[in-house]
Amino acid sequence: MDNFGFLFAANAFVWGGIIYYVYTLKQRNRELEKDLALLKEAIGKESR
Amino acid sequence: MMDQEINEDSGGESSILVWLTGITFFAAMAAIFLFVPTEKTEGPIQRIMYFHIPSAWLSFFAFFIVFVSSILFLWKKEREWDIYANASAEIGVIFCSLVLITGPIWAKPIWGTWWVWDARLTSTLILWLIYVAYLMLRAQTDAGSMRARYAAVLGIVGFLNIPFIHFSVLWWRTFHPQPKVISSEGFGKGMDPSMLATLGVSLGAFTLLYFLLMGQRIRQEKLKDEIDRLKREKLFSS
Amino acid sequence: MNLYFNQIAAIVWKDFVTELKTRELLSAMFIFALLVILIFIFSINLSIVKASEVGPGVLWVAFLFAGTIGLNRSFMLEKENGCLMGLMLVPADRTTIYFGKLISNFIFLSIMELFILPLFMIFFNIEILEYLGPLLMVIFLGTLGFCALGTLLSSLSSNLKTREIMLPILLYPLLIPIVIGVVRMTGQLLEGVPLLDMMKWVGLTASFDIIYIGVSIMTIDHILEE
Repeated sequence: MDNFGFLFAANAFVWGGIIYYVYTLKQRNRELEKDLALLKEAIGKESR
Repeated sequence: MMDQEINEDSGGESSILVWLTGITFFAAMAAIFLFVPTEKTEGPIQRIMYFHIPSAWLSFFAFFIVFVSSILFLWKKEREWDIYANASAEIGVIFCSLVLITGPIWAKPIWGTWWVWDARLTSTLILWLIYVAYLMLRAQTDAGSMRARYAAVLGIVGFLNIPFIHFSVLWWRTFHPQPKVISSEGFGKGMDPSMLATLGVSLGAFTLLYFLLMGQRIRQEKLKDEIDRLKREKLFSS
Repeated sequence: MNLYFNQIAAIVWKDFVTELKTRELLSAMFIFALLVILIFIFSINLSIVKASEVGPGVLWVAFLFAGTIGLNRSFMLEKENGCLMGLMLVPADRTTIYFGKLISNFIFLSIMELFILPLFMIFFNIEILEYLGPLLMVIFLGTLGFCALGTLLSSLSSNLKTREIMLPILLYPLLIPIVIGVVRMTGQLLEGVPLLDMMKWVGLTASFDIIYIGVSIMTIDHILEE
């Protein structure tokens, strides 16, 4: 039985997929938080 | 204030969830590659099963959550349910794609072809198409009540299609010679207890991962809402 | 109850009058279906494949593609003239709009299919006259299912910016079960198998029709809500 290559490929896809998704989630999270912080700052300045 | 609440929420609960998911995945990996014996006829490739079936389970579960949240949204008209449906559909599509990728990789060495028009493969592909269309519909429309209502209708219509897909594809296939029976067709039957245990751990790990990802996606949508609200506030005040 | 049916009839009648005046839709659907059949005939070698095996598939693909044109039209026309707003302002149940559109879509598609059938018989050299009764029954079930789901989704897609693109993308995957069913039934009928031998397919398509009409009644209020 010589099908380690296939097993490896499938694993690579699964892990690659999950890790990539988690990565994009983190990225989006960071962007959103930055936006939010900027907005808050802007609003804080105005109200003062 | 609201975002603080969100942050605290995700900070406390999700860090426990992160650790729990991580540990379960570690256990699952150990079980898949070290503990479980290699299958006699199929060889090492059979270990794909421990990713393939949990991914399939996770995507079906996610689509079921889309269905339930869609109904609840149309009933109660609360933004909360729309967020759940959106998050769940996205996660479902991703894991459905993983099923469709690992399926052919498993099929090639065992059946000799990448793709067989077997009942399960076919219905998974159709399901994938339905929910990709669902996400496209969401991407096409601007945020707001219209998008939520339309998506909810599609979420209900799409899920109700599953029994029809199942039977039509099953009967469609029976007119042709059956492909070589895949080992997962006789689910659980004749499966070694150690294999069943490994599959169980893997299923648990994927289910935990689902909740972890859901938590993140929900938090993101709420952040987005908060930003929109602040922007509007700023616009009105200035 | 009588008022309800009158309202539906009024919507259907309105669609007919517009169609009689413009005569755009039926001719376009018919020519399009004919073209689909011709393209398939050119792309398959009829001297190798059995006509009764590929014929049903080609026939239904033609119906489906031509039907999509009709569906795209049905709500877009209302949208363009602001007519949908008027319909929604009428103090009537929203389901009347759905049923009116469903019936007019169904009738237009059926008329087109009646014109296509003889041409299909000639081009593919298939004798369909002896199975005409059951065949019409199958066409009825398939067309009803197509229109039931299609009307719901076209009412939804007509509000999108990219409606012509989105309707098929949303509709076709959901139609796969019924397409498999009707193509299988048509094929078997043309092989001489009586309809009674495929009751499971009849049951599948019929329950598809019923469930999707039911779901549409329950959800159309949420789509036509402005």
